[in-house]
Amino acid sequence: MTHARQWIGPILALVLWEGFAHLFASAFVLAAPSAILLYLYENAGLLTRALGVTLANAAAGFLIGNAAAILLAGLAIALPRSENIVRALALVVFCLPLVATGPVLRILFGPGAGPQITLAALAVYYTTLIPLLVGLRAVPSDWLDLVRSYGRGRMTALLRVRAMASFPYLVAGLQIAAPAAFLGAMVGEFTGAERGMGVLTIRAMRDLNIEMTWALATVATAVAVLAYLAIGYAARRVLTEEPPVILAAPAAKRRNLFSSIAMVTFSTAAILALWWVGLDALNLSSFFAKRPDDLVDALFLAPDATQTRAALAAALSETLIFLFPGYLAGLLAGATLAMAIILAPSLANTAMPLAIALRSVPIITTAPLVVLLLGRGAVGTVTLIAIMVFFPTFIACLHGLRQAPGRATDVMRSYAASDMAILRHVRVPAMLPAFFAAARINVPASILAVTVVEWLATGNGLGALMALSASLSDYDMLWSAVVLTTLLAVLGYGLVGALERRVLQTYAPEQLA
Amino acid sequence: MKSSSGLSRRSLLATGAGAFGAASLGLSPRLLHAQTAVNFQLSWLHSTQFAGSYIAQDRGFWAERGLSVALQPGGPNAPVEPPVVSGTALMGISAADYTAAAVSEGAPFKIIGVAMQNNPFAIASLSANPVNQPSDMEGMRIGMALANTPVLQALCTINDVDFDAIEIVPTQYSPQPLVAGEVDCLLCWATDLPVAMTVQGVENETMLMADHGYAVHSQTYIVTEDSLANRRADIVALMAGEVAGWAAYREDTAAATDLTLAMFPDAGLDRETQLLQAERQVPLMFSDLTDANGFGWWTDETVAANIETLGLLGREVTADLWDRSILEEVHG
Amino acid sequence: MSVEIICKGLAKTYTGGVEAVRPLDLTLVAGQTTALVGPSGCGKSTLLRMIAGLEDASSGTLTIGGAPAADTLARAGLAVAFQDPSLLPWRTVRQNIELALDLARKPRKAADIDQLIHLVGLDGFADTRPGALSGGMRQRAAIARALSTNPDLLLLDEPFGAVDELTRAQLAADLPGIWEARGTTTLLVTHSVTEAVTLSDRIIVLSPRPAAIVADIKVDLSRPRPSNLKALPAFQTHVDATFAALSHGVADTLPKAAQ
Repeated sequence: MTHARQWIGPILALVLWEGFAHLFASAFVLAAPSAILLYLYENAGLLTRALGVTLANAAAGFLIGNAAAILLAGLAIALPRSENIVRALALVVFCLPLVATGPVLRILFGPGAGPQITLAALAVYYTTLIPLLVGLRAVPSDWLDLVRSYGRGRMTALLRVRAMASFPYLVAGLQIAAPAAFLGAMVGEFTGAERGMGVLTIRAMRDLNIEMTWALATVATAVAVLAYLAIGYAARRVLTEEPPVILAAPAAKRRNLFSSIAMVTFSTAAILALWWVGLDALNLSSFFAKRPDDLVDALFLAPDATQTRAALAAALSETLIFLFPGYLAGLLAGATLAMAIILAPSLANTAMPLAIALRSVPIITTAPLVVLLLGRGAVGTVTLIAIMVFFPTFIACLHGLRQAPGRATDVMRSYAASDMAILRHVRVPAMLPAFFAAARINVPASILAVTVVEWLATGNGLGALMALSASLSDYDMLWSAVVLTTLLAVLGYGLVGALERRVLQTYAPEQLA
Repeated sequence: MKSSSGLSRRSLLATGAGAFGAASLGLSPRLLHAQTAVNFQLSWLHSTQFAGSYIAQDRGFWAERGLSVALQPGGPNAPVEPPVVSGTALMGISAADYTAAAVSEGAPFKIIGVAMQNNPFAIASLSANPVNQPSDMEGMRIGMALANTPVLQALCTINDVDFDAIEIVPTQYSPQPLVAGEVDCLLCWATDLPVAMTVQGVENETMLMADHGYAVHSQTYIVTEDSLANRRADIVALMAGEVAGWAAYREDTAAATDLTLAMFPDAGLDRETQLLQAERQVPLMFSDLTDANGFGWWTDETVAANIETLGLLGREVTADLWDRSILEEVHG
Repeated sequence: MSVEIICKGLAKTYTGGVEAVRPLDLTLVAGQTTALVGPSGCGKSTLLRMIAGLEDASSGTLTIGGAPAADTLARAGLAVAFQDPSLLPWRTVRQNIELALDLARKPRKAADIDQLIHLVGLDGFADTRPGALSGGMRQRAAIARALSTNPDLLLLDEPFGAVDELTRAQLAADLPGIWEARGTTTLLVTHSVTEAVTLSDRIIVLSPRPAAIVADIKVDLSRPRPSNLKALPAFQTHVDATFAALSHGVADTLPKAAQ
């Protein structure tokens, strides 16, 4: 009975979808579910081969990226002084825009699957590293004291205690990583590949082949959702506890101004040095591999420096106009749906699978579809950014809401407080740490979304500027845009972190200790 | 690469289109030695846009000249210039405007051949509301990549059209905005989005910009000055194979299409679309000029026209950008 | 106002078949303090939560002040203090108490709040957040909160668990006076037999899970309890009787062969 009721919503949606698709067939926007199925059936071989290629690259990137994350986390724990710099570098590399890293990787690797695998690895390592760092520290000090009381050292503590304690966090990172690796591998194919899901996606868009576009999006989503669920399932079989949901560490404790400045200066210097030395070491031509001094020249000294800066500023403002509303809308939608589910738990049946699908569907297949559906104006772009931000926020908030402190909800109930009052007084404040952790880690994700949409669909802003300057060989502009985009992401991350610290001081002081 | 071309031969024989394969099967054994490996960077995903190169590959036009050529596909995020500059690819396919831009940024490129004599840029419109001449665009909304704004500006200048009377709507990679009525026309390649619309049954018109004074060589072969000086023999062999391949392409576009589909079964190519594209690019690639002088040719006059149009695009270039010595050797 | 609580056949079986409380009849006399004593995990907290309306009974009826339990909840005539103080960490002690008053739709009177804070020995900590208090201090704040609304029914679940011995004695001496003066019906869940004897008018001894009543002991000691209470022979008699009932309840559930 309840089983049957669960299916009413999805079936109704499918029927409506089919109807709309036939009604608006002439607009070339919506493919009917029946048409998608037919396409999948008739082209099963093609799609299977493409999926095989992309999955293999995604899996390789997944392994490499996660191995790198585990090594980096181990380094940060073994040498605690290195943690800040590891974090800073990891964040900067994570914030590098895909649109720009792709071509550089293609040049580095030449023909083959190198860029696909690397982009997949880059897409996953950060979301594994950060929870892992949290997990390795999420050890009660008693346990560490126990190890020490037996006269054993830090290595034993790392292997016997920390590694085990961090395992659930690792699993949580891996779960998020699986769809990300798939997306990375697909974007990698845009840098020149013979086969794969990414290649077919571009083909379908160009050929106005709506069935193919939707079929590809369906397959990509299904695969990503399955990977997400499979890791979750495997984890539950191994783990005794649920994997944690809050993946970001709470914002670091406030340092004094001097040490903050010292930290930022040191990280910046390290990044610049790596950039400079790295390009020289790889012996990359200065035609496309610009060094920091080339950018200083292009942005401040060259005769057209003013125009270059103006172009960057114009692109930045176009991007920000969509980024802010999309980011905020995603946060708001995520938090609101989580609250709605707390108030009406039966909503979860329909909302959860949809939310997981939205999170998992690779943005390069959704971007064209959402823009087809909602137009290439503000609504389409804002919606896509919001989708990108929505799911992690939703999951984190739901977790936070359910984690209301102790028996506080019982006390509230004993005063006959309404669900609404409990939500307002207990659950929402208790949700704030999770909400902010999600908000922070979503800054890079939302910037990824906006640049990809600009690049693939709307042709505005920083995303389009990067694509355009690559095609016109204006690599000074491309690298400047990369630096600007990365700075935007890092600054946004920092700002949300600062806000988070202020809020947590009131609502969860213990998290800042 | 060897194994994959072998695979394509087998699959060709299997599909019954073995005429191409048979010739090369006889050739390959004696050519196994002394093969120079060369990367050739294409400008887009595999499709009949490069079918002449596939024929050269499949029939051994390169192998018999001592080259083992790997055809590197491009893509939406795969600029051609860097691999050529860095030497990863010996030769690349670009266009005069992109090459001019790269040269102004310090890339030492020469154009050594012109595959598309006529620029493929076109204004596509629906038959119900057609654009037949540039002035028809006034008062219309045009969908295009913002990157191409200078192209539209140049077309307007050449034809005395009021650029400000056209509303630009940024679109990318899809004919859908035109079909959905979000725009009245599209700036795109004649061989690309209009073909997709025709195949999908959407009646459309294309106005080739080359017919209205827009003279920019497209699908140009570029190499670096350094390779031109030091790897001349390889470049001559590569171009000779191209010339032979495209000659065969012109004779039978259907066979060229079938070869493309057989060589790249995983590229998701639709035969009807690919065939129509193959047919439509014939008049862009072959003209009285090439009939008289050979594939890829240009004259001082066409270069002068190019320099003028490129000037309108904000690209100041001289005739030095073009180097005909390779073609002269190939056709000589 | 005093209310009487009548449990008739009240039982709880969790989904999955775990029986927490056997069908049980119990009447809590209006204005009296009743202690529930039993071994760990016997289901006494479950019983308290059912009376508090935090958990639904699997069967049986619960009447509070002559009306079905749900109505009492709606009148907010109830207050609970748990072993886990469950204060909201982002509110100060005073703000936590004020929230309870708001929820119970009772006026905030600063003087009353101050007096309660004084009574539980938290002078000077009214504007401190729980994070800065010790475990015992938090529990005392939770008790102050429970008392603030002047409840008709006060449910205390191990409320002194983390309070130090000295303060505990102090609270045990002071608190009953408050709820008795107001005629509050009080139910105290504890595993401390001496605490049960000190604070209550009546001790219900429960068997190990599933909970069943094994003894109903009337505590026949004068109110207010004398300061030398623990030295009185009568005190010891009550403690012994309770212990005897407890161990009898345990013995009852031992396997037959072991008896």
